[in-house]
Amino acid sequence: MSDNTIRKVCVIGAGTMGAGIAAQVANAGVPVLLLDIVPKDGANRNAIAEGAVAKMLKTDPAPFMGKRAARLVETGNIEDHLDKVADCDWVIEAIIERLDIKQDLYAKLEKVRTLGTAVSSNTSTIPLAQLTDGRSDEFKRDFLITHFFNPPRYMRLIEIVAGPQSDPATVAKVRDFADRKLGKTPVDCEDSPGFIANRIGTFWIQAAVNAAFDMGISVEDADAIGGKPMGVPKTGIFGLIDLIGLDLMPYLQKSLTSTLPADDPYQKIARSEPLIEKLISEGYTGRKGKGGFYRINREGGGKVKEAIDLKSGEFSAARGSSVVRGSAAKGDLAKLISIPGKVGDYAWAILGPTLSYSASIVPEATQTIVGVDDAMKLGYNWKSGPFEMIDKIGAARLVERLKADGLPVPPLLEQVGDGTFYRVENGKRQYFGTDGDYHDVVRPEGVLLLEDIKLSAQPLIKNGSAALWDVGDGVVCLEFTGKMNTLEGEVMKLIQQAIPVVAKDFKALVIYNEGPAFSAGANLGLAIFAMNIAAWSEVEKLVKGGQAALKALKYAPFPVVAAPTGLALGGGCEMCLNSDAIQPHAETYIGLVETGVGIIPGWGGCGEMLERWIDNPRHPKGPMAAVSKVFEIVSTATVAKSAAEAKELGFVRPTDEITMNRDRLLFDAKQRALGMVEGYQPPEKPEFRLPGASGRAALKLAVDDFRKRGMATPHDEVVAAELAHVLTGGDTDPTELVTEDQLLKLEFEGFMRLVRNPNSQARVEHMLETGKPLRN
Amino acid sequence: MQVYDAPIRDMRFVLEELHNDDGFGDVEGYEDFDSDVSTAILEEAGKLCKEVLLPINWSGDQEGCKLENGTVSTPKGFQEAYKAFCEGGWAGLGVAEQWGGQNAPHALGKMVEEMTCSANLSFGLYPGLTGGAMVALEAHGSDELKEFYLPKMANGEWSGTMCLTEAHCGTDLGMLRTKAEPQDDGSYLVTGNKIFISAGDHDLTSNIIHLVLARLPDAPAGVKGISLFLVPKFLPNADGEPGEHNHAGPTAIEHKMGLKASATCQMSFDGSKGWLVGEPNKGLEAMFTMMNTERVAVGIQGLGVGEIAYQSAVYYAKDRLQGRSLSGVKNPDGPADPIIVHPDVRRMLMTMRAYNEGCRALSGWVSRALDASHSAREPEVRERATDFVALMTPVVKALFTDLGHESAQLAVQVYGGHGYIQESGVEQFARDARIAQIYEGTNGIQALDLVGRKLPHRMGRNLRSFFHPVSQFCEDHAADPAIGKLVGALQQSFGALQLSTGHIAQKGLKDPEEAAAAATDYLRLLGFVAMGYCFAKACKIAHAKLAEGTSEEAFYKAKLITAQFFFDRLLPVATAQFMAIRSGKASMMDLPEEAF
Repeated sequence: MSDNTIRKVCVIGAGTMGAGIAAQVANAGVPVLLLDIVPKDGANRNAIAEGAVAKMLKTDPAPFMGKRAARLVETGNIEDHLDKVADCDWVIEAIIERLDIKQDLYAKLEKVRTLGTAVSSNTSTIPLAQLTDGRSDEFKRDFLITHFFNPPRYMRLIEIVAGPQSDPATVAKVRDFADRKLGKTPVDCEDSPGFIANRIGTFWIQAAVNAAFDMGISVEDADAIGGKPMGVPKTGIFGLIDLIGLDLMPYLQKSLTSTLPADDPYQKIARSEPLIEKLISEGYTGRKGKGGFYRINREGGGKVKEAIDLKSGEFSAARGSSVVRGSAAKGDLAKLISIPGKVGDYAWAILGPTLSYSASIVPEATQTIVGVDDAMKLGYNWKSGPFEMIDKIGAARLVERLKADGLPVPPLLEQVGDGTFYRVENGKRQYFGTDGDYHDVVRPEGVLLLEDIKLSAQPLIKNGSAALWDVGDGVVCLEFTGKMNTLEGEVMKLIQQAIPVVAKDFKALVIYNEGPAFSAGANLGLAIFAMNIAAWSEVEKLVKGGQAALKALKYAPFPVVAAPTGLALGGGCEMCLNSDAIQPHAETYIGLVETGVGIIPGWGGCGEMLERWIDNPRHPKGPMAAVSKVFEIVSTATVAKSAAEAKELGFVRPTDEITMNRDRLLFDAKQRALGMVEGYQPPEKPEFRLPGASGRAALKLAVDDFRKRGMATPHDEVVAAELAHVLTGGDTDPTELVTEDQLLKLEFEGFMRLVRNPNSQARVEHMLETGKPLRN
Repeated sequence: MQVYDAPIRDMRFVLEELHNDDGFGDVEGYEDFDSDVSTAILEEAGKLCKEVLLPINWSGDQEGCKLENGTVSTPKGFQEAYKAFCEGGWAGLGVAEQWGGQNAPHALGKMVEEMTCSANLSFGLYPGLTGGAMVALEAHGSDELKEFYLPKMANGEWSGTMCLTEAHCGTDLGMLRTKAEPQDDGSYLVTGNKIFISAGDHDLTSNIIHLVLARLPDAPAGVKGISLFLVPKFLPNADGEPGEHNHAGPTAIEHKMGLKASATCQMSFDGSKGWLVGEPNKGLEAMFTMMNTERVAVGIQGLGVGEIAYQSAVYYAKDRLQGRSLSGVKNPDGPADPIIVHPDVRRMLMTMRAYNEGCRALSGWVSRALDASHSAREPEVRERATDFVALMTPVVKALFTDLGHESAQLAVQVYGGHGYIQESGVEQFARDARIAQIYEGTNGIQALDLVGRKLPHRMGRNLRSFFHPVSQFCEDHAADPAIGKLVGALQQSFGALQLSTGHIAQKGLKDPEEAAAAATDYLRLLGFVAMGYCFAKACKIAHAKLAEGTSEEAFYKAKLITAQFFFDRLLPVATAQFMAIRSGKASMMDLPEEAF
């Protein structure tokens, strides 16, 4: 028996899923062997696996989080290299969905693998019992199904199916690795067809497509009703089919109809549409093909989005649909399904059967409703799971309407009666079990969520833009609460209020929140309005207040750990830079993007980045080396596309640890902070030896060159000059030392000059209006 | 006594000295209108106004218009005055050369408009309406319509109207009922009734070209189903002469509080032949092209009446002998001193004077922006000018007409009992000025336009065109030895304006009623800060002129004193407006409806 650590992984099958899974293993810093078959022709016997890695390096969104990760993938083929499996602690099979080929592979694997090495299949359709048929008991003990979702780096769901003979220790080992290292949320499933997410997902898509054809709903309206208002990605249903491929639909359908029992409700609604068959045969397989229900018409040099008429099969310019308005557009499902006429009827035609079906597969497909909700949220990006949706409508109301429509009412729905599937009891979230009782939703060890803390606690301090929470063990959490967690005066005010509170009664502070973005930066909408009314003193206050608050945090008598996830841009990035440590989630997109809107970092970002690059032992020394590097990164508004990349760019220190699982971020950050408490001393104020005017001349030459090559605009030059002025230390020379305060003053002055520049104002305005940078 | 001499020196100050640094630059296409030409035009216009239009102002008011046998006759002297007006080329002053006009800049044209409004507001409406109709037609009409109609309108031979209002819909045009049926020849038959149509019918021109809002048969409900039609009173022959009557005529004339020599008609269109102007169902947009120009023009009406009210009051205050000066006898040979010696009379006269000069200065700025918005070379300048005009249009309309009316009331007050008697002629100003606060969108609607549309538009972008130059000026001149003190006061009111703007933006976002409750106060606050800015700039120029030596010392010294009065006595109201705005809507909205 090996210990419980997985040190090396093998992925067999270098298709989209296999390669993506291998990349994610590598992203976790774990070496991975990626094997595929030997191609029929060609001299390179590893060509398929190698090609897959090469392709991934060019894919956007990128499967790899950084260059280092790509180097952890070793490629090979199953004929020459299968014996290398002996060194691996987990083998993931992700080959073609053919039972005979899989069984054949397992037979070979059994001969080469080390006893105790976990073997799992990424199958989405074949029952576990059939897969291990003919294998030894030892093999069966180490075997399970681990079903990833596409793309494996970004989709957080992993469905885990253990067989009756699977060794719980092996399953636990894989589950733990998938959770902590791969950042996935494992959901335990029964060995039933389609597991959870694809079973409900396929049913849902079928119900929505059927109803659109039957009720004469246009694809635009269908997606406008079945998308955002239901908390489903705004592509809606037809847009989603275009994304996954029209040709995949008959395949999914067949795999379910052939494996589900004859009385399963899906059997009744599964059907093929002649129009869809025709589209597939003509190459309209979705976005990967000529288009699908939508297509982009580029005739005449234009770019017109067109939608198909489900009756005639003709394409015409897609109309924006605004059939759903008011609260029904914002998640009020009860309202949505009761809108009189087509809109409400169509919404019901999707939700009624889908929610009923979801309630019918517990416990057959999984033991708890929590598993169902997690699966749909993490595997299909639904905002709420089916049972959360039922609670929004009201289970009793749903039952009533299902009955009125002659639709099946699953026992679980009858059982919950007038109650809800979730409730909060004594500050704990509870779910309704199949035993008719409520049970606490238990988080895995090492998972700490503000969402849970808020159920029973009040914030220590709170205002319109931020709040301060006691997260236990003497640690306080600073949460941003504005739109996109943008930063403004109120946030700074709360920071200043928090410091004495933490210093007096607590040990450490963590900056963390549970929005999709840690912080999109300073509130530009507020800023542009202040700029438009020439409220310069307000802008000055915002800059100086931010500098003061962030530096006060930096020099506070307790450790501060920033725990970003998602966007950490501009001021959000500076919030991290000024912290003692950063505990980033792997999926953190961090950068100083100020130049994109014609300004420069104003909250100490320039000095912090200089300090990091001066301290970097692998970077050349001398007054110019760090300045050039930071200038390069900031003047081009470079954003790291992962925490790993953030380390390469110096936003995150080499000593900082990365959290792979989003749900573990607060816990990890808290532990990090607690680890720093003993003997904590605030950092010394840095002093910089900077090049001054001569360094600026060198940077100007570089910018001039960019300008000549058409890569920099006239206003880029102006912004770059201000940035260069700060980074080179203003009126200094390498014989002098520049203090942090002097650098902050330079930042402030440069910032204010740019804010008053009409071209910068145009950039801010353009960014807010279009979401894109203006290249003026 | 109605007294008027065109204030040409102040107009030239605004045109030539005050706004040279406003960043709108020398607008292309107006090179012909140099200082000499502009001065000559102003002098000629002043003469016409004083000698031809002013003498028939009071008599026209007394006589009014008459409707007989389906046509309206204007008061005595109007036909002759109109003929002189057209012969002088005034009808086409601002019209493009292409249509036979003189293509004068708005900056100059608005000065002439101010004069006609001073001398005879009723008269001014006839060519004024033609001008508005031409703007809409030029922007939206087909080439065929433009080539046929515009030249005859530009030389004043034909006049124009805009027919919007119906008995049941004024502000809310979505409820409009007039219909237009398409005909095989591409024309339409327009049927319906309109009310409050200025210059709807008269005997000044051989034909009247009505621009009528109506609905097409398949038009959607509401404002998105309104189209604009050109409907002539007489259908022109192929040779362009007025022919057959088009069943488009007056059924009654309104009996009004003032503006009696302007025929305000109820109109009937009975299967009248018309042609579509612009796109089907886009009539309101086309109409708004003209409405926006017209709103500035209505603001100028307020200024015009304010100016003649001031001059008439000054005349009386110097002439009327009552009481003795508190600082000692000033007219020892007479039985009493002229009432102009009394501080309270001074208060009224200085208020009127400061309003007029402030509004004229602001109107000069907006007019330059109007020109730049069409003709400036650089797109950024055009854009900034467009933003500025958009922001200031409701301010000019509402503020100028409110202040014009206030001036007219003050003139009555200066005249005392005699002002209340018709023969003095000053009560006519108060009656005439009143309508300008109402038509082309009431002043309440203007204030809503300002806070609801112009302020939040593109995150406050319109504001930039005004707030930035004021802010920059304050920064640049805060320490100026000559005007530093005034600038300090300006800065204070500007600060109040900035805070109010932030307050409205913030509150209004959550509760539109909060913004609406602040609207009228905010409009006035913004307007007063704008006038204050103009006065401060004027002082800077005046100080420089006086320092370098000038033959016009009196003019510049008077400018300094008037400005000082504005800063001392009028601008402080900004603080009060600010406090009112900050108080929020509660006391305005709390009283239950049944308690009224």
